[in-house]
Amino acid sequence: MRPAAIALPVLALVAVLPAVLSGYHVSFMIQVFMWIALAGSWNIISGFTGYVSFGHVAFFGIGTYTAALLITKAGWHWLPAGLAGCVPAMMLALVIGYPCLRLKGPYFAISMLGLNEVVRALVSYFEGFTGGGAGISLPPIEAIVPVYYAMAGVAFAVTLTTYLILNSRFGLRLLSIREDEIAAEAMGMNTARLKLYAFLLSAAFPGIVGGFYAWYASHVEPLSVFPLITTITMIIMCLFGGSGTVLGPVIGAVLLSVLQELVWARFLFVHQALFGALIVAVVLIMPRGILGILRQYYPLPRSI
Amino acid sequence: MQVHITGTMVLQVVVSGLLVGGLYALVALGLSLVFGVMRVINVAHGTFLMLGAYVTFWLFDLYGLNPFLSILVSVPVLFAVGAVLQRLLVFRVVNAPELSSLLLTFGISIVLANMAMLAWTADYRSVEFLTGSFVIGQIAVSKPRLISFVTALVITALAFVFLHKTRTGKAIRATSQHREVAQVCGINVGRIDLVTFGLGAGLAAAGGSLVSVMFAVYPEMGQVYVFKSFLVIVLGGAGNYPGAFFGGLLLGVVEGLASLFLTAQLTEVVAYILLVLVLLLRPQGLLGGRI
Amino acid sequence: MKRPTNATVQLGAALTALALLGLAAPAAAQELRIGASISLTGTYAKPGKYTQEGYLLCEKDINDKGGLLGKKVKFVVYDDKSEPPTAIKLYEKLITEDKVELVMGPYSSPVTNAASTVSEKYKKLMMASLAATTSIWERGYKYLFMTISPAEVYLEGLVELAVERGLKTIAVINEDTLFSKAAASGTIELAKKKGMQVVFHEAYPKGTTDFTPILIKIKSLNPDVIAAGSYFDDAVATTRQMKELDINPKMYGVTVGGDLPEFYQLLGKTAEFVYGSSQWESHLPYPGIKEFVESYTKMWNREPAYHAAAAYGACQVFAEAIKRANSIDSDKLREELLKLKMTTAFGDYAVDERGFQIAHKMVLHQWQNGKKVTVWPANVADGKPAFPTPPWNAR
Repeated sequence: MRPAAIALPVLALVAVLPAVLSGYHVSFMIQVFMWIALAGSWNIISGFTGYVSFGHVAFFGIGTYTAALLITKAGWHWLPAGLAGCVPAMMLALVIGYPCLRLKGPYFAISMLGLNEVVRALVSYFEGFTGGGAGISLPPIEAIVPVYYAMAGVAFAVTLTTYLILNSRFGLRLLSIREDEIAAEAMGMNTARLKLYAFLLSAAFPGIVGGFYAWYASHVEPLSVFPLITTITMIIMCLFGGSGTVLGPVIGAVLLSVLQELVWARFLFVHQALFGALIVAVVLIMPRGILGILRQYYPLPRSI
Repeated sequence: MQVHITGTMVLQVVVSGLLVGGLYALVALGLSLVFGVMRVINVAHGTFLMLGAYVTFWLFDLYGLNPFLSILVSVPVLFAVGAVLQRLLVFRVVNAPELSSLLLTFGISIVLANMAMLAWTADYRSVEFLTGSFVIGQIAVSKPRLISFVTALVITALAFVFLHKTRTGKAIRATSQHREVAQVCGINVGRIDLVTFGLGAGLAAAGGSLVSVMFAVYPEMGQVYVFKSFLVIVLGGAGNYPGAFFGGLLLGVVEGLASLFLTAQLTEVVAYILLVLVLLLRPQGLLGGRI
Repeated sequence: MKRPTNATVQLGAALTALALLGLAAPAAAQELRIGASISLTGTYAKPGKYTQEGYLLCEKDINDKGGLLGKKVKFVVYDDKSEPPTAIKLYEKLITEDKVELVMGPYSSPVTNAASTVSEKYKKLMMASLAATTSIWERGYKYLFMTISPAEVYLEGLVELAVERGLKTIAVINEDTLFSKAAASGTIELAKKKGMQVVFHEAYPKGTTDFTPILIKIKSLNPDVIAAGSYFDDAVATTRQMKELDINPKMYGVTVGGDLPEFYQLLGKTAEFVYGSSQWESHLPYPGIKEFVESYTKMWNREPAYHAAAAYGACQVFAEAIKRANSIDSDKLREELLKLKMTTAFGDYAVDERGFQIAHKMVLHQWQNGKKVTVWPANVADGKPAFPTPPWNAR
């Protein structure tokens, strides 16, 4: 089945939804697209190469500040400001990735663990520029439907990029790094450069997502845009759907967003614990995610 | 107004940093053991610390028990908690890819933190037991910090004695050095994993008990110590247990000096840069450990 | 261990009511629903609960007196988990789905900051009961009104008393978060205006435990006054470490936490002589305050904290404006609220053209012998400040 056959109807549906949904549900969809994009970008580095980026929210946060500053200090329109979020994010990825990607598994994870905290501390420190702990307030947003389309666009871009990577030689090379990096190097692949490219790509999209988010939320501050729980959530969504696949992050993001909506509305005081239990369950029971489980029973094309 | 930093001030900060570093060392030791033996990155380590702190707080609040003595309670309690968690959940991610252990322990930590918040609310608590300082020359040595440092030292020393002089302790070190060979030598590594995880939790609890005397106790208090513990392990060298001790002291001093000469906001940045530098330039740690 | 079953029941009732309303929309015309998101869980759970209680008591009082505009008032409350993004979603829901007639604010500055972007977008006037940060009112919003005193004046009493007693130098520290930063910068401005010299100012990240380096720098400057824009956990650490390093300012004041009884519970004797500021105390001479405290204590078996009083007061002001405008139209309400001047059980209300609170006054108190003594302003004080704070080794 050609992918376009599935993609086009979905895109058409996405395009018309704002006409029928209430403001609240459009907000909900914006957040779903956000998570699809975030989970999908984590997938590009960690799903394909096996290098666990545990501080990925740092790229999101940098994107929010970039857009916030461009909008408030340079008077940019929110759309280019949001897109510009990818630039500092990629620069950060370059600066951090270049040295750290040569570390072995657990140590790369540890070095990424602190990344979001450090970026947050730096953002707070340069308060003359960034408003420090008080954050930056943006002009109130007039209509959220344009943001809906922007986020949908990013979500689609990430998914498309993942599809293209997975069906390319670049993707195959990344996967071989995950399977056995030493053998991959022995075959002559420049694993350092491959990892870095994947890392840069994986950082660009959260930067853009963050950029649009800043406009949507009308306020950015260090504590709310660099939290560890955002990284964990995007990882779990990716794993839940199936990491290393194209549709995995999409499925994971959609299902978990819906689940969070329903569960959280009912269980006031234990929703955190339930999320923790979900994480434990995903890790222990379904590490290959939903797609992994489906693959055991149905012959699914490798390309999704 | 510019602050003129004198030698006395530096010395004061170094002394305070060393004392706090002893605490970091104690907490990091537990994490180092778990990582060394099971290659598990235990993000829930901070939650164990928090639970230990609450044990001490409640014993003090309800029964007036000396917080330093309550370590005799908090350690076994958390040892048991750790052992149970290991037996039920953590054993599945021993030697697994780091993502699994990171996520699993993270999941456990938020369940435990949420339960703590339900049980005890997010209100801040503290143990008002020992305040003030001894003055030696121009330097004020904080009483609670000094006692914590000595206690941490004693517990760490006991841990080393355990690791070097008892059969189980040696088995732990053997497993941490080379798991397969240890198995071949007849060591029941499953049991060793259990004991190690419990021990790690117990050491975190001891750290938590000490923290409760000095700082505030609340459900999220443990988070900051997890990252510091990783820093200590990297500085000292993974699997190098005495290294963890010196790594802790070093971290305490570095943090203090960074805050003194720069500002408090940059201490985390300095610590992180140190982490990355050590990981890149001397991955076996400053004192040499396993990579 | 207090389990807020009340809150869950209320919430369950509100949700059920909402569900039913959704099926029978015309029935909603009988009620004046006021929507709000409140931190029922998360870091702000406790003050959030107090806020909700304040709203509920106000609802009861209004309905007992015949309601508003001939209808019964009903609060519709959702839990924002102390998270700004959640509050955004909830206010969207309240305004676009539930279509509540009116909205009031959540607890805390960051959450109000986020939530108000939604209410402003839909031109739905929001009465903000518990947001204390000036920057929220510098965004040019038209439909946002403030009730409590802003962060910047929290330590006004400390500065005033210091200047009265001829003190000259002040050191300021603050946690690097929205509220604390505002409190610190406000204190610095006030101090400078009154001719004091600000010898030191440093911010520390949230979660800092070791204040030795900061305090040792302060010690070397020997300021007369130390002011801290802090919360509980940092105030605990800072105060204890000041004792350890034998730092003896003549006055030492903190923002949040210094007013709650837990502060003394946490620190015991170490808390003596510490000044703290408060938005409200139950013994102040405000109209209706006795009745408020009595009803509240009867309903919830404990005395009200300032958050409940602020929520109650905000709701009373809002109700008065609605009555005068005889409408729920945002522009008419805006007109009324801009010119309204009144005093509720919470204190004075009057705003400037931004909706920013200019009349409400903070009070300063000091812990003396385990008791909180109000020491400023003079017209509501019930004791004199114990001045100067004696050095640690002389206690």
